[in-house]
Amino acid sequence: MFAQTKEFPSAPVESPPFDLLRVPVIGRLLGWRHARTALQIPALIAGIAMIAHGLFGPTLAPKNLATTVSWVHFRGALVLVLLCAGNLFCLACPFMLVRQWARRWFHPWLTWPRALRNKWLSAGLFALILFAYELFDLWSSPWWTAWLIVAYFASVLAIDGIFKHAVFCKWVCPIGQFNFVASALSPLEVKVREEGVCVTCHTKDCIRGRRDASGLVTIQRGCELALFQPAKVGNMDCTFCLECVQACPHDNVGILSRPPASELMTDPIRSGIGYFSRRPDLAALTLVFTFGALLNAFGMVSPIYALESWMARLMHVSHEAPVLGTIFIVSLVVEPVLLLGLAAWLTQVWGGSRRAMLPLIVRYAYGLVPMGFGMWLAHYSFHFLTGMLTLVPVVQNAVSPLLGEPLWRWTGLPTRVVQPLEFGFLALGLMGSLMVTHRLAVDEEGGHPSRAFVPWAAVCLLLFAASVWLILQPMEMRATFMG
Amino acid sequence: MAATLIIEHEIDPWPARVGRELVTLKLSDAAGRAVSGARVKLESDMAHPGMKPEFGDTSEVGPGRYQGRLAFTMAGDWVMLVHITLPGGQSLERQLEVKGVRAN
Repeated sequence: MFAQTKEFPSAPVESPPFDLLRVPVIGRLLGWRHARTALQIPALIAGIAMIAHGLFGPTLAPKNLATTVSWVHFRGALVLVLLCAGNLFCLACPFMLVRQWARRWFHPWLTWPRALRNKWLSAGLFALILFAYELFDLWSSPWWTAWLIVAYFASVLAIDGIFKHAVFCKWVCPIGQFNFVASALSPLEVKVREEGVCVTCHTKDCIRGRRDASGLVTIQRGCELALFQPAKVGNMDCTFCLECVQACPHDNVGILSRPPASELMTDPIRSGIGYFSRRPDLAALTLVFTFGALLNAFGMVSPIYALESWMARLMHVSHEAPVLGTIFIVSLVVEPVLLLGLAAWLTQVWGGSRRAMLPLIVRYAYGLVPMGFGMWLAHYSFHFLTGMLTLVPVVQNAVSPLLGEPLWRWTGLPTRVVQPLEFGFLALGLMGSLMVTHRLAVDEEGGHPSRAFVPWAAVCLLLFAASVWLILQPMEMRATFMG
Repeated sequence: MAATLIIEHEIDPWPARVGRELVTLKLSDAAGRAVSGARVKLESDMAHPGMKPEFGDTSEVGPGRYQGRLAFTMAGDWVMLVHITLPGGQSLERQLEVKGVRAN
């Protein structure tokens, strides 16, 4: 009798993820101890130049560094880098460099109040910045833009000068919150390379940092945002500061690739965050992010002025603030509550979900992030791509006559080239949101997952339709109300 | 030459609309005398940075009266820059607001 051998197909060998820190040159640069400072110094110089030009340079926004760099180049490059890599702008944050220097003399002594350890404040500040942007037409004012940057530096110094750890980054900074939410769609994540290595690690330097032999002097910081690498999931709250990379004695932290949006599909306990599903504050932040994307674009198209005029007549007011305030409350509070409330109710009665209304809204709110990011991408990349070369004449003008006659005719790509890209970004956003909400419905709704998915798919499609409509509207930028 | 230059401007049609509009400028000195023989160039800039500026030349159509066409490529608030070179060679620039350009 012949012995029978049965051949099993060998289990697929999972190839290790791409690791940016293993890439020649770039990896060595990012792994360098002073990499962050080296990136922050040019950003700080640019920031100082923007403040100076904003306060003392030309008053015309298209000719001033403060407005051109802030509202065309910074925002556009920010979303494109988030899409293609990760939260590299927090890595190069100039505000943190100033804070770092200031902390040599000022030692924070207080801990951030427990009541403020959530995203409610930062979600409110994010909405407030969007509101101020429209009300004060920041895009047309170099002076106000410069003061906004100054206020940012002052806030960082005031808050992080008093409170320990990275309070400003984690709980306050509106730009940081934008980056945290958007980086859920990024392909890169700071992550441990091999989990087994962390199991045997006893020092936990990635979170604790390292001190000298006396135990009094910190020679290497751990994560200031309380993200413990082995239990860290996704990019939320990660500033890519790479302190953990420096701190890990086993060289076990990398910048690894992962499927974009994957962190939105699951709900494990996350270090420094907890469960997404138990964080209504975080869900509220994602809703400000998503609905704010549409609102911010709405502020730049013709129908906003007709709406404002109509509302002003209805409300018998002549100042923009109450009208704009009403539009903001409707767009960022009433509309999301109604839309998501209706979808949650349908998920209960038609999809058979046994979860209460609020937990449903909180859980699925994260699913709308890709659609919101698609709209931010479409909007900001439009300004960036159509106006990217304007930096050349603006810099020439700022330092002239050293660089010759400013080339004012230099702008960027034509609108007809950029518009298809905008639709592409929106389509990507829609696909992402549909995938995430579908996965949530399949994984988390026991009754009828397909039926549970339908209302959320409808919300995604509605946001997509609104975004397409916005992109198709004629652009109109006025610094005048009811002009 | 004129220490004080008075510039009056007119855009036709008014309110300005998207398109190439007729701009008329009247230059005079402090005493009200027309300033002839100047070179006047026009530039329109959107209030938002990152937009393409438009440029236009003018010709003198009467004593101290300069006329040219200038494009406003989208609705919204614009700023018109008037670049003037006076007969004596002195150059100056004036910034004039053109608010609420309307869509067609």
